[in-house]
Amino acid sequence: MNREDILNEIEQFKKEGRKFLSESISGKLLASYGIPIPPACVAKNVEKAVKCAQELGFPVVLKVISPQIIHKSDAGGVITNIDKKEKVREAFHRIVENARKYNPKAKVEGIYVQKMVPPGREVIIGVVKDKQFGPVVMFGLGGILVEVFKDVVFRVAPIDREEAREMIDEIKGLAILQGVRGEKPVDFNSLSKAIANTSRLAIDFPQIGQLDINPVCLYPEKIYALDARIILE
Amino acid sequence: MQIDLEKTHSELRCFFEPKGVAVIGASSHPEKIGYQVLKNLREGGVFSLPHLKGFTGKIFPINPKAEHILGLKCYPRITDISERVDLAIICLPARLVPQVMQDCAMKKVKGVSIISAGFGEADSKGRKLQEEFLGIAKKAGIRILGPNCLGILYPPQHLNASFAPFLPFSGKVAFISQSGALLDSVIDWSVKDNYGFSAMISYGNKSDLDAPDFIAWAAKDPYTKVITLYVEGFSDGRYFLEMAKKVTPIKPIVALKAGRTATGSRAVGSHTGSLAGSYQIYKGVFKQSGVIMADTLTQMFDMARALAYQPLAKGNRLAIVTNGGGSGVMCADYCEELAIELPALPRQLIEKLDKSGKMHPAWSRGNPLDLVGDAGPERYEVALEAVMGSEVYDGAIVIQAVQTSTQPLRNAGILVEVQKKYKKPIIGAFMGGVISEASIKYLEEHGIPNYDDVDRAARAMWVLMEHRRHYRRRSI
Repeated sequence: MNREDILNEIEQFKKEGRKFLSESISGKLLASYGIPIPPACVAKNVEKAVKCAQELGFPVVLKVISPQIIHKSDAGGVITNIDKKEKVREAFHRIVENARKYNPKAKVEGIYVQKMVPPGREVIIGVVKDKQFGPVVMFGLGGILVEVFKDVVFRVAPIDREEAREMIDEIKGLAILQGVRGEKPVDFNSLSKAIANTSRLAIDFPQIGQLDINPVCLYPEKIYALDARIILE
Repeated sequence: MQIDLEKTHSELRCFFEPKGVAVIGASSHPEKIGYQVLKNLREGGVFSLPHLKGFTGKIFPINPKAEHILGLKCYPRITDISERVDLAIICLPARLVPQVMQDCAMKKVKGVSIISAGFGEADSKGRKLQEEFLGIAKKAGIRILGPNCLGILYPPQHLNASFAPFLPFSGKVAFISQSGALLDSVIDWSVKDNYGFSAMISYGNKSDLDAPDFIAWAAKDPYTKVITLYVEGFSDGRYFLEMAKKVTPIKPIVALKAGRTATGSRAVGSHTGSLAGSYQIYKGVFKQSGVIMADTLTQMFDMARALAYQPLAKGNRLAIVTNGGGSGVMCADYCEELAIELPALPRQLIEKLDKSGKMHPAWSRGNPLDLVGDAGPERYEVALEAVMGSEVYDGAIVIQAVQTSTQPLRNAGILVEVQKKYKKPIIGAFMGGVISEASIKYLEEHGIPNYDDVDRAARAMWVLMEHRRHYRRRSI
């Protein structure tokens, strides 16, 4: 996806009065900045979802796509660990039903079918606009830990990879990423690159007000951005 | 962003080394600011203290109703002065400021310091007045300090162009403060504590000049070695960031950010948004630009003193020399928290000290190097020589408790001599009061910062190591 396409998409979302980008667009945006996301596709109906899952290979995750639902998990809009065809059908219907229960006005535009990746160490990369400093990039321990430990650091965007590496070295939980009890260290190079590129993205698209990539799953040889939330200004 | 330190420095010189200062709204009533500012210029302070001297340049009180104030001839308007005037200090009600600014423009004044309040911080009328005088100033190329500020103090030139109570001692630390009252209390404390300043700047509402401009000035000021900063917020955060990045490789900046609990008023839709408190962001900004962050005022001035008077440490390996076990252990604890390494004493060094014949049989043979309570100056000397001369250590903290065998003044002399010889940093932790006072004074007069508690000493040493790391990261 090139810059033009992304800008068109953003304009479209804005025109429709939407506050945040869909997961598929967010994913493509990240991918265009060299931030890897697990293979995925959008399914408008059950049979397309089954076909997608088969093509991607099991297990997969199904996530709701709805402009009215920003916190997908809270709405029962995410089902993980789907390992066969029948379960795809079942999950598809359940998500649609959950979404309706959660918000009767929610319009379900489709289901995001994504290849499920093995568990890794989880971090968060974020962007927020500060009144005095403009876009700032955040990095820290992610997943659900982010709310408990608040082990995060900030930099004014943009930053280069070396500065991104300094951010990583600054968090209190660094040892977790370096590996404890014989665990291998995570892929620091890809992580630094992802943080630096996210900061660049924040500068390139001033239309973005807030951005969460949470979690970013880290492995010894690669990283994956599992979920992205991009809120327009 | 174009940052030109030379240009900003020369533009702001009129506030620090003015050829001619006018006080507009000078008064003969001692309770009025217009009197106090004039007295400060003339005598260095409204209080009299032995170190105070007045500004030696020309001072012109402006008051259409008075003939003379404090023995100085008054002028009805600034335009009535035939000599050159670089700086005008305005102590008049807000509504009169635009008119007076017009006069300053006509007189070709370079800088105007507006002490008066009642502008942008007050109401819409005040904001309008502010826009008005700013328009006039911009057209005339006048730079503005304030409004609603204390003013500027430049002790090296005996210039007290403010309504702060008096000039502090002249020193190597510049203090730029968003709060005026804080600056006042720092001045009073500093004289008692023998702490000197190269400049003190209260910039108030920052209608024109903001902290980054004064950082640029201080970077080029020959008297300033370290810049300290008290800040609540900047008008333009990115200007500060770029300025700090440019200046920290030249001079260290130590900053205190107030407003730690304020989380800002962001609509929270993301984790990032909910975590991005202004203090957290400032922490990042300071790291990014090599600014050293202090948690308290004491910490800020402690670190600034070390940076102003001692060389940076080449690494983070420290020796602690002490005549008391307890304070040595405490110091080691604080060092560990700050990730300062305390390498064990090398074997040759232990042998050397054992053979010196000066050590007590029960000396620690470790780091902290405990000289034992009856240590006299010879023991301090031989031990400090040994660790400072060793490749294993990048600096030393020397602790002294006043005990029956202690000779504080001679110990102080040893610290000064050994530091000069090896050119590595030494921080004193001569702990005590009445008896150690003279030795502490000696240390500080000879450039060895001393702290009365070991946690302060440890942090002072840490900053000498930390700033060196910043230099290395930026490959300076």
